[in-house]
Amino acid sequence: MSDQEIELTIPGSAEYLRLARLAVADAGSRVGFSFEEIDDLRIAVDELCFALANGESEARLNLKYQVGADRLVVEGHCDRDGAATPVLSDLAEAILTAVVDEYHLGNAGEGAEFHFAKALSGS
Amino acid sequence: MSPIGAPTLGRFAEYRATRSRDIRDELILEHIGLARSLARRYSGRGESVDDLEQVATVGLLKAVERFDPERGLAFTTFAVPTITGEIKRHFRDRGWATRVPRGLQDLALRLTRTVQELGHELGRSPSVEELAAALEVSTEMVLEAMEANRSYSASSLDAPGSDDQNASGLDRVLGEHDPGMEAVEREMVVRDLLETLSERDRQIVQLRFFEGLTQSEIAERINISQMHVSRLLARALSTLRGQLELD
Repeated sequence: MSDQEIELTIPGSAEYLRLARLAVADAGSRVGFSFEEIDDLRIAVDELCFALANGESEARLNLKYQVGADRLVVEGHCDRDGAATPVLSDLAEAILTAVVDEYHLGNAGEGAEFHFAKALSGS
Repeated sequence: MSPIGAPTLGRFAEYRATRSRDIRDELILEHIGLARSLARRYSGRGESVDDLEQVATVGLLKAVERFDPERGLAFTTFAVPTITGEIKRHFRDRGWATRVPRGLQDLALRLTRTVQELGHELGRSPSVEELAAALEVSTEMVLEAMEANRSYSASSLDAPGSDDQNASGLDRVLGEHDPGMEAVEREMVVRDLLETLSERDRQIVQLRFFEGLTQSEIAERINISQMHVSRLLARALSTLRGQLELD
């Protein structure tokens, strides 16, 4: 099965992160992650979306979920005119290290972006 | 608890006729074991047994007030749904944010139980499909219920000096293992931040993100459900994020 891509654009404020979590839960379920692993994915998307948009409702978050046979990759992009480079707290770094296989957050053109990936256990 | 026989039914009839407080108290005392037994069935879901027993006693009081021996039912037949109804209402009123629809709250509570039961049965964390099949709902409903569980709060578990005998503070947890230097430095940086959490939340964050335990392992260690660990983690992270914003 070739990868399927889900795309979602939401305001950057915290109240809309529910949609990002629901989408990642659905995408994770399609890959075959367990209930607990899906909870990890929800934590990851929460942390990175918040770091990217800083909870600003004017910011627009564009999210892409790539649903693979045994792996999920999530990319986020946010245009942030004149905003400082997004940074992760030490705690956020520790959390992401625990819940996903790889992640990145940094500047991209006029905005900022993140990506993270998690593979099925044993794959 | 004594069997419910004709003499007891006679006392109920007498109470209905007189509304005597002495008879009412006597009937409550006679059936308090039933209320406590029902309260214990709902323990382990984020409310202390003491709180649940109090709620169950209120349910028992209502049952005593409303019971009509003329209808031919045994008192326990009438009292059990009244008491459990009171307990369930307590969970809803105390635990849920009002924006979560009642039907979804019910499903989320069932989900909590099913995750635990299925997890034990399978020996691993169940998939969403397995949960949907067990609950006889769609996978979408399971995902909605999972999200709705974030809206559930269980504040009684967070009070300092809660009844969790196994809870250990961050200091004790840090002293129990020997992580690498990088991890030590990281823990030093976040130590102050974690101090803003209750002892239980701090312990859960520590175990999950610094010691790498799964939610199920944490649940087993501190004797609460995996779903409760999930909810506490979500709330702890939200608190920590708010703290970072303040800083």
